[in-house]
Amino acid sequence: MTDHILALTVAAPFVAALLMLLVPGRNHPVLRVIGVTGSVLSLVGAIYVALHYDQAKGGLQFAQNYPFVPSFGIDIRLAADGWSVALFLLTGIIMTAGSLASATLTNRPKEFYILLLVLVSGVFGVFVCQDLFVFFLFYEIAVLPMYLLIGIWGSKGKVAPAGPFKSLWKDLDVGGKEYAAMKLTLMLLVGSAAILVGMLAMYFAMGGKSFDMVAMAHFKFPREMQVWVFPMLWLGFGSLAGVFPFHTWSPDGHAAAPTAVSMLHAGVLMKLGAFGVMRVGMILLPEGAATWAPIVGAVAALNVIYGAVSAMAQKDLKYVIAYSSVSHMGVVMLGAATLDPDGWNGAIYQMFAHGIMTGLFFALVGLIYERAHSRWVPGMGGFAKVMPGVAAFFTLAGLSSLGMPGSAGFVAEFLVFAGAWKSGHLMWAIPAMIGAWVTAVYVLRATKMIFWGEGPSHEFHDLHDAKRVEWAALWILGTCIVAFGCAPRLVLDFIGKATSEYLPAIVDAAHLVAMGGGK
Amino acid sequence: MSPDLQPLLLDALLAGGVLLLLVVDLFLKDTSKAVLADLTALIFVGLFGLSFAVDTSGSAFDGAYVGGEWPLFFKRLFFAIGALTALGSRDFVAERFMRRQGEFYMLLTSCVLGMTLLPGAQNLVLLLVAFELMGLPLSMLAAWAKTEDTKGQDRDAAEGGMKLYVVGAASTGVTFFGLSLVYGMSGHLDLAGLAAAPGSPLLTLGMFLTLAGMSFKIGAVPFHMWVPDTYQASPTPFVAFLSVAPKAAGFAALAAVFVKGFGSAAAVWAPALLAITTLTLVIGNLMAIPQSNVKRLLAFSGVAHIGYMLMALAIGTGEATGVLLFYLAGYAATNIGAFLVVNAVGGRDADVDIGLFNGFSRRSPGLAACLLIFLLSLAGIPFVVGFWAKLYVFIEAWRAGLGWLVFLGALLAVVGLWYYLQIAYAAYIRPPAADREQPVAVDPRTRLAIGVCLVAVIGMGAWPSPFIENALAAAKAFIAH
Repeated sequence: MTDHILALTVAAPFVAALLMLLVPGRNHPVLRVIGVTGSVLSLVGAIYVALHYDQAKGGLQFAQNYPFVPSFGIDIRLAADGWSVALFLLTGIIMTAGSLASATLTNRPKEFYILLLVLVSGVFGVFVCQDLFVFFLFYEIAVLPMYLLIGIWGSKGKVAPAGPFKSLWKDLDVGGKEYAAMKLTLMLLVGSAAILVGMLAMYFAMGGKSFDMVAMAHFKFPREMQVWVFPMLWLGFGSLAGVFPFHTWSPDGHAAAPTAVSMLHAGVLMKLGAFGVMRVGMILLPEGAATWAPIVGAVAALNVIYGAVSAMAQKDLKYVIAYSSVSHMGVVMLGAATLDPDGWNGAIYQMFAHGIMTGLFFALVGLIYERAHSRWVPGMGGFAKVMPGVAAFFTLAGLSSLGMPGSAGFVAEFLVFAGAWKSGHLMWAIPAMIGAWVTAVYVLRATKMIFWGEGPSHEFHDLHDAKRVEWAALWILGTCIVAFGCAPRLVLDFIGKATSEYLPAIVDAAHLVAMGGGK
Repeated sequence: MSPDLQPLLLDALLAGGVLLLLVVDLFLKDTSKAVLADLTALIFVGLFGLSFAVDTSGSAFDGAYVGGEWPLFFKRLFFAIGALTALGSRDFVAERFMRRQGEFYMLLTSCVLGMTLLPGAQNLVLLLVAFELMGLPLSMLAAWAKTEDTKGQDRDAAEGGMKLYVVGAASTGVTFFGLSLVYGMSGHLDLAGLAAAPGSPLLTLGMFLTLAGMSFKIGAVPFHMWVPDTYQASPTPFVAFLSVAPKAAGFAALAAVFVKGFGSAAAVWAPALLAITTLTLVIGNLMAIPQSNVKRLLAFSGVAHIGYMLMALAIGTGEATGVLLFYLAGYAATNIGAFLVVNAVGGRDADVDIGLFNGFSRRSPGLAACLLIFLLSLAGIPFVVGFWAKLYVFIEAWRAGLGWLVFLGALLAVVGLWYYLQIAYAAYIRPPAADREQPVAVDPRTRLAIGVCLVAVIGMGAWPSPFIENALAAAKAFIAH
């Protein structure tokens, strides 16, 4: 039984979704219980993996192979390394909090939970899959349900027409949920098409026998091929990670999505993209990664600044948080581009920290929106008087977002900046640090405008603090921010172990590329 | 039965079935003729089952007709399609064409007979006879909605049927002309003899004319104009049949003539076929975008799928041909399912506007979920059969050095997702119209047919291995023979 712990964890939400098919759609309490149970079970699985992963030994553990399509060399190969452990935990935490946060949903909860659970199965699968093809399958499962989740349960944002395409605003219904859902799906699938082509190129370069990622990591792909396949993977996976200029789906998508979906999407799904770039792009194609690293890093620095400045300009609360995700994912990509141990540890740790922090943010935004029926920041004010708990947690998430020492965000950003500095990329580190400073500006400003000052005005008559089950999500995420800020080694040791296993090969490749030889 | 006729056993039984339907029809009152649909379905299911029990290998008529795994694969496919169509048509036909039910099923069955004869034909004359046996009933069935009443949709039905007939006749003429040139230059009517014939300009011309003629039948661009009009005007359950079965038969004929007959001249025809493939992929996918009639949308989506299948055909290897078979089977299950759901939603009208799908998921959640799965399969999303079909084609194309085509195909698949999602969008996100809030009525036999399609789509998607192995084996036998 425990040998198959990874498969069980991946399957738990999916089985819960199947069980739900048997429950009538009107029976909301039972649906909720099944949904939350499926999520909690997967969290338990993730914790089990973290406790039983042998850090001294390192490498891939809990490995199991399940044959799938033998004639094309496709097997479901599941195994966990240190990174998987950390991201498994993150997914379990966010999903548990997300399923609790959506307990108040009344519009077609059955379909909602089914899609959400299927999606999260895909996410778990990506983090532990060692077969490139099945990795791609899981990735698609994680991306596709989003269309319906946003299209059906989403909400319409308030976006003022601006920019050169102003006249198209109304026709396209910018800010609407249908627009957001379609934009997100199409942009991510163009990315998938690029991934698919890159994946097939790697498969055939290895002789067309197997998609085993362990074998691929040991195989030396020709330099010329790596140099054109890596950008396909970078942009393909990168479009999900919000890499500039393919980030435009993300603000619209996150703003239109319902609470739990925003939490999962910004908290976990965007990490799939960055994880894909590192796990598939960089580790399997080290020379391609080394060749492109300067550009990856430069674009990432641009992401940090651009996301932060855009967030500053937003008036819709969800857009503020969504653009801050674009900015923070830039930090992840920046860490990845340093090809330095600290940078890489920081990148993965930032995935973890930002996941929890942004999950908390979106949970809070959902609560505020539910009570205020508005996300228009300038209209708010003084909310702390009636919802002190929400205000406290919002401030906590904000402090983590701007990198306050003692919060998880600080550890991650510090490591990334240290990595960038150490690897001699000051021209990345400095813009990124300016970006972190801009974060402080918009986060604190938003906090001030919502919670402090005059108000709340009489139009917000049914404001009240979080209630019963809503507290659960907030406390879980809030505790994690502080705990992983004060004791980062809880997950950083896992991450560091895996980084130390993967990075040397890439550093060697970078030396080869720098010398211009070694073909 | 003499051993000589062994490979034709199933076809002979099917011919008996045609006669049986004709006779039984005489003894039934108009009001009870719906039972003919069940009888037709039974005949097909019986033959499908029998195909696993009897040995149909060997060859007949001095090698003009051979049995074996390749024809058997197609026969099973056609029997399954026939059974599903009969089940899905029953109530529709009984209600709309009460007095013409017997003929409907008789023609449907003889059409299938033409198809089952086709893949085993090793002789050009036999091949063309089988092709015409399939083609003529098709045009009649396409015009079935025509009545004495010459207003509105009934006139469209005549137009759709006529278009299919005229295009079909013209393409047959072109094919005949091409093959007569081929015969004149090579002196052979049998495929094996063609393969050995020396090349010449007239032979090449004949080859291209044949390619053009057959491209009309499968609806490849630029010979696709009849497809949307005919789909729009024909009875929807019949469109389910028309959209898959003749295409499969057309590919069987194309594979026989080109991969096998002209296999040695692949360098000559492969570029032309690749050009047709590219055009079909691009035009099919792009033209589907602006359609607001679901039947026309699915017609252009069908054209796009023909493009993916042509990709496999153009590669011409044994593996690629096997992949083509897998694609055909997956596409058949998916498309029949989709059209049967469209039929249920559209009611008895021939025109099915996309607006009719508004709020479908709230009216009939189960049926809407089926439609969603069929649409995802058409779009090529993982875990349904359409994904594997496209993927296998891409893998073979990559092996053949057609990386650019893979990239184009993958990009256009995303375009495809856009227009398939238009239907899903209406079904799941838009609210139902005020006068259409009650659940969609589906008769039990259509339900059964949709269920079978669903099981096939999900089954082949979750566990593609046995099916692809079977298809590869059939193609291997075809190439080796």
